[in-house]
Amino acid sequence: MISVKNLYHSYNKDGKYQVKDVSFEVANGEVFGFLGPSGAGKSTALNILTGLLPLQQGEVVVGGYDLKKVSNERFNKIGMSFEQSNVYSKLTAKENLDFYRKLFDVPTLDSHTLLKLVGLEGKEHVKAGEFSKGMKHRLTFARSMINNPEMWFLDEPTTGLDPSIAADIKDIIKEKNKEGVTVFLTTHNMFIADELCDRVAFIVDGEIKLIDSPKNLKLQYGDKLVEVEYIEKGEVIKTTLSTVLPEDKRELQKIIEHHDIQTMHTKEATLEEIFIKVTGRGLV
Amino acid sequence: MIRKIWAIFRRDLKVNLKDSIALYILFIPILLAVLINLFTPGINETTVGLALLEGDNTSQVNYLEQFAEVELFKTVEQVQERVEERDATIGILPENDRYYLMTQGNEPEGIVDYAKIVNSFYELDITIEDTNSELFDFERTVPPFKKTLVNTMILLISILGGMLIALNIVEEKADNTLSAINLTPAGRLTFVLGKSVIGVLLSVIGTIALIVITGFGTVNLLQLLLVLLVTSLLSISVGFIQGLTSSDIMTAAGSIKILFLPLLAGVLAIEMLGDKWQKFFYWNPFYWAYKGNDLILSQSGTWGQIFMYSGIVLLISGIVYLFLAPKIRKGLE
Ligand SMILES: Nc1ncnc2c1ncn2[C@@H]1O[C@H](COP(=O)(O)OP(=O)(O)OP(=O)(O)O)[C@@H](O)[C@H]1O
Ligand SMILES: [Mg+2]
Repeated sequence: MISVKNLYHSYNKDGKYQVKDVSFEVANGEVFGFLGPSGAGKSTALNILTGLLPLQQGEVVVGGYDLKKVSNERFNKIGMSFEQSNVYSKLTAKENLDFYRKLFDVPTLDSHTLLKLVGLEGKEHVKAGEFSKGMKHRLTFARSMINNPEMWFLDEPTTGLDPSIAADIKDIIKEKNKEGVTVFLTTHNMFIADELCDRVAFIVDGEIKLIDSPKNLKLQYGDKLVEVEYIEKGEVIKTTLSTVLPEDKRELQKIIEHHDIQTMHTKEATLEEIFIKVTGRGLV
Repeated sequence: MIRKIWAIFRRDLKVNLKDSIALYILFIPILLAVLINLFTPGINETTVGLALLEGDNTSQVNYLEQFAEVELFKTVEQVQERVEERDATIGILPENDRYYLMTQGNEPEGIVDYAKIVNSFYELDITIEDTNSELFDFERTVPPFKKTLVNTMILLISILGGMLIALNIVEEKADNTLSAINLTPAGRLTFVLGKSVIGVLLSVIGTIALIVITGFGTVNLLQLLLVLLVTSLLSISVGFIQGLTSSDIMTAAGSIKILFLPLLAGVLAIEMLGDKWQKFFYWNPFYWAYKGNDLILSQSGTWGQIFMYSGIVLLISGIVYLFLAPKIRKGLE
């Protein structure tokens, strides 16, 4: 279980916070996601939870370990895949994993099995320095599960990967979750959030704006969007409006009264559209 | 913990054995040893120097020349001047019917004993035929220049150990792998110790190779090890700092050079400067390490002396370490 209460973080300790009053809980076996645009503070929050960044203010308990108390033992239970791959470029894929295995006190997965899992079979003896970006990322990802973590932290697990590799990685995450692993991930990709997460937190400028399951969010916002195409000064304009929000309702009325409507239909909102509605910001 | 330290060391070794700069550093000690052998005379040549007064003591001069290099001077003052030069020359001066030894006080015990014995042999009229093999044992006096070189190289090798550590830290930084290590149960202490092993081993194995090749293999290894380890503490701390603050391998290797300066200063102070200057070098850990090594290399150091010198080196290195430790800790975050 992960429990975070009133978490704040300021890199320069200058009164400007990159993470502001963040509170949430992740149940065991849940997949929880931070969805937000670049610079929102997703990695910052995640790095505090893993212990890469010091805990400045707030209360954080990860897998039963209070982060205020130092304990290296807890790293046996957590795994982290980094946003930017970080492996020894002078060592081969297998040497990288073999070395990392020796640093844990718990049973670890065999390097060969792991490499096979992420599609690096046959590349065991190639130096990581000669890997492509995607291959390095897969090696970094493979390394994060070496100690069979109970808590698995994934910072942008699929960003920048080609679609088929991204699909493989999504499958692995689902599989591990089925085995009972608790997953905390960050992403600015609404499809990932939608497909993988039991619950998502919308985060903008270091603050959580909302936490709910993708399903609930769509139920709440989904049927209540209309997509309108109309003609204004000879140009076709396309817009999406809510049938719930007062200003959107007024806008819709105006369009119907003053313009030629070309098409108009209700549609299921994507997570991104909901994000924009809720936070007033896009995901990029 | 030992298992993890070992794993970290094995990883470093594996990488270093494939890296040309690191390989070069690993083999420098042997290179140095071979060079020293090429450029210095053999260890078995006599170079005990004796300073005598010129006069009608031809028989004495002839006798002593069998065992040592004899220089003649006109006055007692000149003999005294010669003795006070920084090499180990001993004066033999007449007083009444006997001779007494004039020393400066810093000559290795072996040399003084040697001079005493040849002098008494002369007084007792012992001929070279009467002497037994024991006398030849004393002749195994070490040429001072060779000893100086070997001693300096021992200190240099400990700096090389620091250099190697710096290289390996730079690698971790370039690959950004420190953050991955920080998320394993191997704590920071394990990491620091693991990364230090290769530096310490280089300095221990390199030094042993050096002394064996240059003919000092019979010195007290335990004493040497003690001085080595305390000196390494300094090189290692500096190695970590340089690794953490340099962005590439060349800068790291280059910036370790700041240790060469105190090293040379210490050696030169002891070998070239007179007594009144010595106190200006007491802050320098290499100064004390050199003194300790000097006793060890001339096989005349007592454990008491070695403990004292190592203690001083440890104290100074410890202060340097305490000063650098917060920066190292911060750099490893
Ligand atoms: N080391 C640092 N020092 C100072 N400010 C930082 C540092 N790292 C990040 N920041 C700032 O903190 C804020 C949050 O950054 P963070 O990396 O957490 O965002 P993110 O949501 O993970 O973005 P992305 O999707 O691009 O990964 C940004 O404004 C960033 O500029
Ligand atoms: Mg990020």
